[in-house]
Amino acid sequence: MMIKNIWIIFIRDIRVNTREFMTLYMMIIPLVLAVGINLLSPGINDTSVNFALVENENPEQAAYFDDFAHVELFSDQQRVEDRVRSRDDVVGILPKDNGYYIMTQGNESELVLEYAKLLNVLYESDVQLEDARSEIIEFGRTVPPLKKMLVNMLLLLISMLAGMLIAMNILEEKMDQTVSAINVTPTSRSAFILGKSFTGMFVALFSSIACLLITGFYNVNLGQAALVVFSSTILSLLIGFIQGINSDDAMEAAGSVKLMFLPMAGSIAGYEFVTGNWQIFFYWSPFYWAYRANDMILSKSGTWPRLILYIGIILAICGAVYTLLAPRIRKGLQ
Amino acid sequence: MKLLSSFKKELILASRGFYFYVELIFALVILVVLLFAIPQNFSSTSTEYLHFNLPQEGREIFTNNILENDLDGESEIVEIEAGGKTFNAELIVTDESEIYIVDSEEAVRMLADSEKVIGAVIELNNNNQLHYKYYLQGYESTRFKNLISILFNESTDVLEERINNQDVRPLSTDYEPLSDRENTIPPLVAFSGSLMGMFIMASYIFLDKKEGVIKAYAVTASSVWQYLMSKIFVVLLTSVVSGFIIVMPVMGFRINYGLLLLLLLTTGFFASSLGLLVASFYKNLTNAFGVIYLLLIIMMVPSIAYFIPGWDPFWIKIIPSYPLLQGFKEIILPNGDTIYPLIVSAGFLAVGIILFAITNIRFKKTLSV
Repeated sequence: MMIKNIWIIFIRDIRVNTREFMTLYMMIIPLVLAVGINLLSPGINDTSVNFALVENENPEQAAYFDDFAHVELFSDQQRVEDRVRSRDDVVGILPKDNGYYIMTQGNESELVLEYAKLLNVLYESDVQLEDARSEIIEFGRTVPPLKKMLVNMLLLLISMLAGMLIAMNILEEKMDQTVSAINVTPTSRSAFILGKSFTGMFVALFSSIACLLITGFYNVNLGQAALVVFSSTILSLLIGFIQGINSDDAMEAAGSVKLMFLPMAGSIAGYEFVTGNWQIFFYWSPFYWAYRANDMILSKSGTWPRLILYIGIILAICGAVYTLLAPRIRKGLQ
Repeated sequence: MKLLSSFKKELILASRGFYFYVELIFALVILVVLLFAIPQNFSSTSTEYLHFNLPQEGREIFTNNILENDLDGESEIVEIEAGGKTFNAELIVTDESEIYIVDSEEAVRMLADSEKVIGAVIELNNNNQLHYKYYLQGYESTRFKNLISILFNESTDVLEERINNQDVRPLSTDYEPLSDRENTIPPLVAFSGSLMGMFIMASYIFLDKKEGVIKAYAVTASSVWQYLMSKIFVVLLTSVVSGFIIVMPVMGFRINYGLLLLLLLTTGFFASSLGLLVASFYKNLTNAFGVIYLLLIIMMVPSIAYFIPGWDPFWIKIIPSYPLLQGFKEIILPNGDTIYPLIVSAGFLAVGIILFAITNIRFKKTLSV
C-alpha cells in the first residue's frame, strides 16, 4: 500500500513538474552544460603560446610557428603592439636589423616567455619537424584531465541540483500547507516525502548518465557511476530536507544553498590541489568522497571494493547527520 | 526620503533574518581559507619517468646533468609500484619536477601508463645518434607533440646559450605579478559578492510575492521602483561588507578601496537587476531557479580564461563576468590600470539601469494591480 502511494505521488509529481517545464528544464540544463564542456575542452587542451606576427613579412616563419603555437597575423607593427597590450597573453615576434625580437607586455608568466624564446631559437636554428629524431607512443587516452575534472564537477552539480529541486518542492508544499493536509489522508508523511524525492532522484540519474554519454565517457562503468550518483543524491536530498524543512521561507533556503556550495567547492579544490597527507582534512566531507569516487570511475581505474568503500563512507556520513537531525526534520514536517 | 525609510526598514528586517549573517559568515570562511588553506604560491611540480638505454658513460652524463638542478644536489634511491610490480628508481627533485630514472623501458611504459604522466626512453639509433622515445597519454595537443619531437634535435647547451641571448623587449617593466593567493581573490569576490546578488534578489522577490507585499505597495504612497531599490540596497550593502571582509586582510592598504567599492556597487547592482528581471518572468523560485542557475554557470566560464591566460577566445569576452574579473584583478594589481575598472563600472551601471527600468515596467504591469 505504502509503495503504491509513493508511486502515485511520484507519478503525480512528474506530471505536475513536466507541466511546469521544471523537471524537463532541470534535465536539459546539465545536457546543455555537457555539450558546452565538449565544445570548450578541445580549445583549452590545445592551449599553447599565442604569437602575433606581421602579415606577409615572413610567411615561412608564420607557417613554422603555426606548428607549435597559435599564430595571429596583423597588417603592421603597431597592430601587433596593440594585440600584445591586450588582456590575454600574446607575444609579438617582430623583425629587427639582424633577425627577430620578442615583444612582450611585461606581465606574461615565465613559462610563456621561455616557450616563446625556445620557439624563436628553434626557428633561427632551422630545426625542422622532418628532422625529428624521436618517436611518440600513445596510450590511446582521448579525454584530457581538464575535461574529466569538468565532467566530475557537473556530476556533483547534478546531484546537488536534484537535492535542491526536492528541497524546493517540499518547501512549496509546506507553504501550501499540503504537508499538514497529508496527516488526514491514508498516506503517511514519510511516503509523501519519499514520493516527492523520487522525482529528484530520477532527474539526477537520467541527467548524469546522459551527460556521461554526451561527453564521451560511454566506456566507463555506468553501473558504478549510477551508484555514486545515487549516493550523492541521497546526500543532496538530506541537505535539501534540512534546508527545505527548517527554512520558513525561500530566502532562508537560498542562503543555505550558498552555504552548501562551500563544502562542495572546497572538497573539489582539496582533492585536485592539496597534496598527499593534507587530504585527510577533507575526509569529513561526503562531497570529497563523491568527487573521488567519480574521478576513479572516469579514469577507469575503479575497483568495486574501493567504490563500495567510498559509497559506504558517503552513506555513513549522511546516516550520522540524519540521526543527529532526525528530531528536527520530523518536527519541521509537522 | 521614502526610499531611505524603505531601505532602513529592509535593513532592520534583513538583520533579523538568516541571510544577512550567512553572507558575513561565508565571507569570513573564505577569508580563513584564503589566509590558511591557499599557499602564497602554488608549487606545481611535474613528474617524469626516464630510462637511459645508453652505455654506462652516457647514462652518467645525462644523470649528472639533471642532478645539477637537484634541490640538495643528491639523488635518492626509491621503490615505486605500477601494475602490481615494484621498480627501483633514482629520484631527482628539482624546483620544477620530480624525475624518476628507472632501469628498464618496461618500467617507463608501465609508470607513464598508470600514473598518467610523460615517460621517455633515450637510446642510440643505428647511426649512433641519440634517439628519443616518448610515452604520452594520447590527449596531448598536436602542437605539444610537435614541440617535444624536435626539442632535442639541437644540443641542450647550444639551445640554452641561444635562449639566453634572445632579445626580449617588454612594453612595460613596472609590472609586479600577484601571488597565487592574491590571484584567487577576484573570482571569490566576484562570485560570492557580486554575482550571488542575482540569486538572492530573486529569492527576496519571491518571498514578498508570496506574502503579497508587492501588491500591497499599490495602495501605499511609495512606488514599486523604490521598493525594489530598497531591496537592492540591502544586497549591495551585504556584498560590499563581505567583499571588504575578504579583500582587506589579504591586501592591506596597498589598493584603491574607492575603486573596489565602486566596482562592487555597480556589479552588484547589475546582478541584482538581472535577478529581478528573471524573477519577473516566473511565479516562484523553483521555476526561476533553472534560469538563474544556468546564468550563474555561464558567468563562471570566464574564470577558466582568468586562470589560463593563454586561452582567451573572443566569445568569452562578451560574458559580463569577464570584465568583472579583469576589473577586480586590475584593482588589486600593483600599478594596475585605474581607467579599466572605471570603464567597467560605468558599463555595469548603464546596463544595470536599463535592466532595472525594464524590470520596473514589468513589475508595475504584472503585480501592482
